[in-house]
Amino acid sequence: MLKLENLSKHFGGVRAVDDLSIEVNRGEVFGLIGPNGSGKSTIVNLICGVYTPTAGSIRLLGNEISGLTPNRRLVAGVARTFQNIRLFDDMPVWKNLWVAQNSTEDANKHNLLRRWFGGAGSDRDEIDALLEFSGLGGRGGELAGSLAFGEQRRLELARAVAAKPQLLLLDEPAAGMNFDEIKDLAKRIKGLREQDMSIILVEHIMELVMGVTDRIAVLNFGGKIAEGTPDEIQKSSVVQEAYLGKPQDVA
Amino acid sequence: MEYYLGIAQTIGIHALLGWSAYVLLLTGQLSLAQVGFFAIGAYVSAILTTMFGFHIVPALMVGALLGGFFAMLVGFPALRVKGLMLVVATIAFTQFVSLFFFNVHWRREVDGVMAGPDSTQGFREIRFYAANGWDTLDVTLFIWLFVLLVMVGLWWLDRSRAGAVLRAVGADDLAAQSSGINLTVAKVTAMTAGGVIAGLAGGLYAHSATYVDHLTFSVLLATFAIAYPIIGGIHNVLGTLAATIFIQGILIEGLRFLGDWRNILFGLLIILVMNLKPNGIMDARTMRAIKRIFAGGKTADSK
Amino acid sequence: MDDIVFYTVEIIQSIIDGVLFGSTYALIGIGFTLIFGAMHKLNMTYAAASLAGAYIGLAFFTLFDAPVMLVFLAAIVGSAGIGLIVYYICFRYIPVEDHLAALMASVGALFFIDEIVIHATNASPLTFPALFDDVMFELGPFGIRGDLLFVFAVSLISMAALWYVLYRTRLGLATRAVSQQGIAAQLCGIDIHRTNGTTFVVAGMLGGVAGSMIGASVGILSPLLTLPITIKGLIVTVIGGLGSIPGAIVAGFLVGALENVFLFVRGVNERDMYIMLLLFVFLVFRPHGIFSRRAERD
Repeated sequence: MLKLENLSKHFGGVRAVDDLSIEVNRGEVFGLIGPNGSGKSTIVNLICGVYTPTAGSIRLLGNEISGLTPNRRLVAGVARTFQNIRLFDDMPVWKNLWVAQNSTEDANKHNLLRRWFGGAGSDRDEIDALLEFSGLGGRGGELAGSLAFGEQRRLELARAVAAKPQLLLLDEPAAGMNFDEIKDLAKRIKGLREQDMSIILVEHIMELVMGVTDRIAVLNFGGKIAEGTPDEIQKSSVVQEAYLGKPQDVA
Repeated sequence: MEYYLGIAQTIGIHALLGWSAYVLLLTGQLSLAQVGFFAIGAYVSAILTTMFGFHIVPALMVGALLGGFFAMLVGFPALRVKGLMLVVATIAFTQFVSLFFFNVHWRREVDGVMAGPDSTQGFREIRFYAANGWDTLDVTLFIWLFVLLVMVGLWWLDRSRAGAVLRAVGADDLAAQSSGINLTVAKVTAMTAGGVIAGLAGGLYAHSATYVDHLTFSVLLATFAIAYPIIGGIHNVLGTLAATIFIQGILIEGLRFLGDWRNILFGLLIILVMNLKPNGIMDARTMRAIKRIFAGGKTADSK
Repeated sequence: MDDIVFYTVEIIQSIIDGVLFGSTYALIGIGFTLIFGAMHKLNMTYAAASLAGAYIGLAFFTLFDAPVMLVFLAAIVGSAGIGLIVYYICFRYIPVEDHLAALMASVGALFFIDEIVIHATNASPLTFPALFDDVMFELGPFGIRGDLLFVFAVSLISMAALWYVLYRTRLGLATRAVSQQGIAAQLCGIDIHRTNGTTFVVAGMLGGVAGSMIGASVGILSPLLTLPITIKGLIVTVIGGLGSIPGAIVAGFLVGALENVFLFVRGVNERDMYIMLLLFVFLVFRPHGIFSRRAERD
């Protein structure tokens, strides 16, 4: 599905990501964890096209995508959410989804004129379904900026899903959420996985990562220090060292 | 009556100019180049009617299309720079176009008289309306026909996906790009549409003024063009029209009795409005209030 | 052969005069850039305020027959005062994220100041006192005008003074901190509004120097100067790179010199057209200015 090969991103002398190789399979929830500054966010931005890699390749379904702009990557099948929510605040909730729907829409479905200048029409059904899925049913007319924090997070997830991506990148989706909201998010992630979507989850909150992921890669200093199932990772001493320091350091 | 029709013509033309900046403001770009496109439309359509005997409608169309064409040309390099850099670049463009026409000398004999742009002397022989027997009322209605057309077009745009895309780019360009929007296409399209509207407005202006010279197309006029949508707010298409009526109708014409002091007051009022209503006089709150009034109190308490 | 020699001499002479006068563009450019660096906002009033400062100086001259140095001093104080007022009415109380509102308000202030000047002077140009305008230094075939040299020297001294304020005083440290990391600076106990206000005052003082130097070298002050100086100042700011002081200085000299060369080669009607083209060339090939290394902000 997604294959990162010898991927590097250097900022001046800083090696934010260094010679990293990862493979994510179809329909898999893949966790990306590591201490602050380990390069997680850089990887998300590399996969989404905000940064261009210094070296290495990014393949989606066998096609090289590392030269594409973020919008072309969405068309190729990669959608994302942002660490700090970025909605179109002054637009109604439903239009936030409508905008994202366009890219992957079947070009034959409408002619060009109707697609760009026609009303929402049949798109509304799909949007309503997405709003229902996000627990925002009936609130499509409100302004996105006026929603509560947790609702904004759900709307942003819905916007990413609206593009019907093959691969979904969630950049710290649980940041700032309370326990109930995290449980709710876990349910949604599992639901998306059942729709055969591959998901990369970048997260600090271990309850969430360990609960929903199939495999996990642990990063430190821009490189991968461990990879395995949640069980394997939890037992790994390398991981504990990365997070807590070596035992002798503690003593 | 003539006097009021004259004001109505000015308001109509200025509203069009304001809307040409409004389209671009939707994408978050502030352009002072609109007067450059306005000048292109004015000169081109006036040259066509005066020097080559075109009817005004095709002449306006050509002027509008050329305005759009130059907007597209300017759009590609100019939109690479963001925000305030674009402000400066577009000021320079307007200045450039104005200086260009300042240096154009192209006269041609029409019916035994020389006509055409005469560099420093301006372009003085634009008489399509008079030659075809249109009176002031006809001209005013003709202008407002285009005002209504553009207004309905922009109102429609705001209900379409294209309009939502433009606003999304204006709200957050990275989020928009990550939602599959091609930023260059969106911004250049907005720029082109703005150029078409400005070119159209320019053609209408040249014919009702019957005389244009480079001083008309100043940075001051460009500032007015952006002032209308900013003061009116870009919440919806009516804001620009409201601001144009407010500025041209009330501040400039209505306060004529104040003489010199009117201009001083004008600057102060802009400052005041921007401090009190940073999102424009027709912002979301005002619109809600207006809707409530029109709903006649029935729904005043419901949400 | 003689033609070529004559031509070369004239062009070099144009460049010399242009660079000397360009120092005033550099000052205006620095003022725009300082305020942009501090607040990430464009203060459209700046050049108008600088010239208004010069008018205040001129008022001292005509009303009290003040010595020329006092005229300059009054211009500096006046322009700084206007700067502070502009900060309060156009920037202080408008929410930070409403860039358009602040920009538009500063355009309103530009109209306001311009109209006051027009009202006070009946829109007629006034003579501005110059220093050393009867001195001419001969340098082989070239002549250096005494008044332009004076303008150049004063501009360089003001730039040096600005450098001292920015890099050798607490005030400068606070200004630089606010411009780089506003929130962090606030957490360190820096009063952001006060620092911004001070930046406007410092920029205003510089503008007062610029305004009176423009008056001194042109010989007159007229409301017609406002717009060209505003536009040239903005062009200098962009060519130098928004926020870059060394960039603004070099760009000021560059624009001054090229403007004079175009004037000599193509005449006054076409001169400014080529300056606009110069800006487009920079926007296409070096959009981040002369010195800037791709600072990605707007």
